[in-house]
Amino acid sequence: MTDPDPATVDDYPIVIQDLLHYLGPRTSLDDKSAVALPVAAIKALLQVVQRSKANTMMGLQDELKESSQSMLDYALEGTLLGRSHIALASGCELFLKYITRTFLETPDFDACKGQVLERGEHFAGISLAARDRIANVGHGFIRDGQTVLTHGWSRVVAALLLKAAETTHFDIVILEGRPDAAGAKAAALYAQEGIPTKVVLDSAMGYVMESVDLVLVGAEGVVENGGIVNKMGTFALAVNAQESNVPFYVAAESYKFARLYPLHQKDLPTMGGLNQQHLDFVDTASWHRTGREGPSSTKKQQDTNATSTPHEPSNTVSGIVTIPHNVKVDNPPCDYTPAKYITLLFTDLGVLTPSAVSDELIRLYQ
Amino acid sequence: MAPLAEDANLLSTSDPNNVRKWLAAHHPKQLSMLDKFEIELRLGRLSTSSTAAARTSSLGEVGMFGTTDRRLVTSRTVELLKSLIGSTRWRNAAQLLALLRGIGQELHAAGGFREPAIGNVVRRVMAAVREETLNEEPSDSTKKAAPTGADMESIDELEDNMGNMSLKRNTGVGGSASRSTKMSLTNMLWDHPQGIKRSSSGRHRSDSFSSMGSDSPLPSSETAGQFPPIYYANRPDLRQSVMEAIQEIMSDLEDLHKNINDQATSHIHAGEIILTYGRSKTVELFLKAAAAKKRKFQVVVCEGAPHFGGHAMANSLAEAGIDTTVINDSATFAIMARVNKVLLPSHAVLANGGLIAPSGSNMVALAAKNNSVPVVVVGGMFKLCPMYPHEGQDTLQDLVSPSAVIDLAEMGDKLVSEVEFVNPVHDYILPQNISLYITNIGAFQPSYIYRLLAEYYHSDDWESFE
Repeated sequence: MTDPDPATVDDYPIVIQDLLHYLGPRTSLDDKSAVALPVAAIKALLQVVQRSKANTMMGLQDELKESSQSMLDYALEGTLLGRSHIALASGCELFLKYITRTFLETPDFDACKGQVLERGEHFAGISLAARDRIANVGHGFIRDGQTVLTHGWSRVVAALLLKAAETTHFDIVILEGRPDAAGAKAAALYAQEGIPTKVVLDSAMGYVMESVDLVLVGAEGVVENGGIVNKMGTFALAVNAQESNVPFYVAAESYKFARLYPLHQKDLPTMGGLNQQHLDFVDTASWHRTGREGPSSTKKQQDTNATSTPHEPSNTVSGIVTIPHNVKVDNPPCDYTPAKYITLLFTDLGVLTPSAVSDELIRLYQ
Repeated sequence: MAPLAEDANLLSTSDPNNVRKWLAAHHPKQLSMLDKFEIELRLGRLSTSSTAAARTSSLGEVGMFGTTDRRLVTSRTVELLKSLIGSTRWRNAAQLLALLRGIGQELHAAGGFREPAIGNVVRRVMAAVREETLNEEPSDSTKKAAPTGADMESIDELEDNMGNMSLKRNTGVGGSASRSTKMSLTNMLWDHPQGIKRSSSGRHRSDSFSSMGSDSPLPSSETAGQFPPIYYANRPDLRQSVMEAIQEIMSDLEDLHKNINDQATSHIHAGEIILTYGRSKTVELFLKAAAAKKRKFQVVVCEGAPHFGGHAMANSLAEAGIDTTVINDSATFAIMARVNKVLLPSHAVLANGGLIAPSGSNMVALAAKNNSVPVVVVGGMFKLCPMYPHEGQDTLQDLVSPSAVIDLAEMGDKLVSEVEFVNPVHDYILPQNISLYITNIGAFQPSYIYRLLAEYYHSDDWESFE
C-alpha cells in the first residue's frame, strides 16, 4: 500500500484528485485528526456538485453516480486503503440519498444545489464530532483496574480509549495485527499517552483472553444484521471472547452502516485488490513501517522477541524461506463477524444493541 | 413583568438549585410537598417489597410486607408531578422541561438512584410533554421540513406522505411526530439534531455537531440553545394536554397488574412446575391469576435468605390453593432439572435487556440457563431504565447492613475487624440468560428492549438526572 506517485496523480480524473487532496498527507502516527475516507469522498462529491453543469436532478445524479463508481474502482485497485471500501460505498450512497431528499424538499434545482453546498461546508467536522460523541457514550464502560483488548488500528477506538484514560486507570493489550502492523501503530500511540500497553501475537488471543475484561474494536463497516466487517482476525477474537464470557464492544460511526447482508465470509465484497494475492509481512518488531525508531529507542514499548535488528530492510526477516511460486496465497484484509458475538455497538447515535442497527438502517433508507 | 423575566432565566437552566429557588419564590406549597416526598425517600419508606424486606429486616423490625410496593412509589411520584405541574406557573414547554429535569435531579439525589422507577416516571412525563409540544403544532409543513423551504405547495402531498411514513414508524410516546427531532443517520449528517445537549465537558468545538447545519439558526446563548424554537412558543392548551397525558400514565399504573395478569394463562400451563425466588407482589398476583382460571400447576419457592421473603410468598400462594413447596436457596440447582419455567420479579430492566432483580436471582438464572429452563420476568413498563450496566454486578451498588446475616453483638472483635460481610440488595442478570419479559403492554425478548426505550423516553432525557 504505497502512496500514489505524485507524478501520475494528474492522470487521474478530477474527482480522484479531489479525493486525494481531501485525504491529506498520510501522516504516520499522529493522525488523530486525519480525515476518514468516506468523509473525504463526500467532500469530493460536493466538489462534483459545485462543478456540475447539469441543469436537472437526473443529470446531477448521473454525474454523482459516475464519480462514486470511479472512486470505488480506485479504492479497489488497492492503492488507497482497500479496506475502507465498504464505508466508502455507504458514505457515497448516503450522500446520493441526501441529494434526492433535499431535492424533494426544495424542488427548485438551483436553490437545492445551493443548499447542499452550503451545508456541505460544515461537513469537515463530521468525522471528528462523531468520534467525540462515541468517546462520550463509550468511555463509561471501562472501569478502573480493567484490562482492555483491542485489535487493529482505529481512530475511533483510540479516541474512546484516550477519553477513558482521562478519568480511569486501565491496561491495554493489543494484538500484533499482521500483516500491516496495525497493532504496533496503536501500541505506540497508547504508550505515548501513558497507558500501560502490552502487545501479543495474533495467535495469542485465546491465551490472553482469560486475563482480559473487555474487547473493543473498530469497524470498517457495519452490516444490516448488526454484524461488522473489520480487520482479519476480528471474527476469531469475537468467538473467543464469547466463549470466555468477555463482552465484545464495537466502536463505529453511523456512516459506516451499509446495506449489506453477508451470510458467509465469502459474501464480503472483494477488497484489497492486488494485495490479496500477496503475503506482505511487515516486521512488526522493527517498527519501521510505523515510522518509529527501533525498540531500543523508546523504553515504554513492549518486549516482543525482536529477532531482527533495526537496520534490516523492513519487509524481510532473516532466516525465512521464501514461498515457492506454486503455493497459492490468500490474504484478504477483512472478515465478517456475525451479530450474535457482539455485545454492544458504540455509535454517534448512542449505544446500540446489534438488533437496533437494522432499525436505524431502515429509518435511513425508508 | 420583571419577575416573570427572572423566572424565565431561572427555569432555563435546569440546575436543581434554580428549580428550588423558583419554587420557593412562587410556589412554597409545592416545594414543601417535594421536600416531604424526598424525606420519605431518604428514609427508605418507599421501596419495593423485596428490598423493603431487606432494609427493614436488617434494622431488626418486623418486615412490612405487602404495605409498601413499587406501584405505590410510582403512583406517589406521578401524583407529586401532577400537582407540581398542574399548579405552578410555567409558561412554555421549555420551562416545563427544565422544571421536570430539576425535579428529576433532586429526586435522584434524594434516593431515586435506588429506585429507578422514580426517574423513569419523570422521564416518561418529559417524553409526553415533548410529544404534546410537537403534536399540537399547527400542521405547517414548513416547520416539519428541515430546510428553509421554498415553494412547498407542489410537493405538500409528498411531504405529508414522508411525514406520515415517519409517524407510522415512530408510534408511542417518545416517538416524536416530526422526523427532524429524532436522532437518525440523516440527522446526524445533515440536519442540526434538535435538542442535542451541549457536551458536558464544556469543550465547544467550532466544528462539532452543535455548530453544524445552517438551517436552524440557534442563538448563541447557552440557555436559549437547549431546545428547538418550537418549545418556546406560548401555548395555552399545552397544560391541558400535559395533564391528560399524566392522567394516562396514572391509569396505566392502576391497570398494571390487570394487564400483566391477563397474559398469565398464555404462559402457565397445566401440570407445570414453576420456580420463583423470594417475595414479589407482581409474581404472586400473576400466579394467582392463573390459578383463578383453574390451571393446575405447582410452584417451588426459594426461601430467599437472609430475609426469607419466600416464606411469606409461599403462605400467600398456598392460601390461594396453589400447590407450593419451599426450598433452600442452595437446593435451586438440584431441583432445576425438574422445573419447567422460572418466574422472576424485576427491580429494573436495563437498556441492554439485562435485569436488576433481588439478590439471589442471578444464581437462579444461571442454574436455569444450565438446564435450558426458560426464565420469564414479570414487571411493569415503568421499570424500564435507560441505563447501561457499566459496573456489571455492582450496578446500583446497593448494600445493606450485614446484621441480617450475622448477629454483630455475638461476634468477637477479631471477627468484626478481619471479616468482611457483604449483603447486596440486587443482582444483575445478563440479557442472554433471560428468555422473556412480560409487561403490561405485552411480552418481549431482551433484544427488543432498546425499541421500547426509544418509544417511551426521548433520547435527550436519558442522562438527565445524574
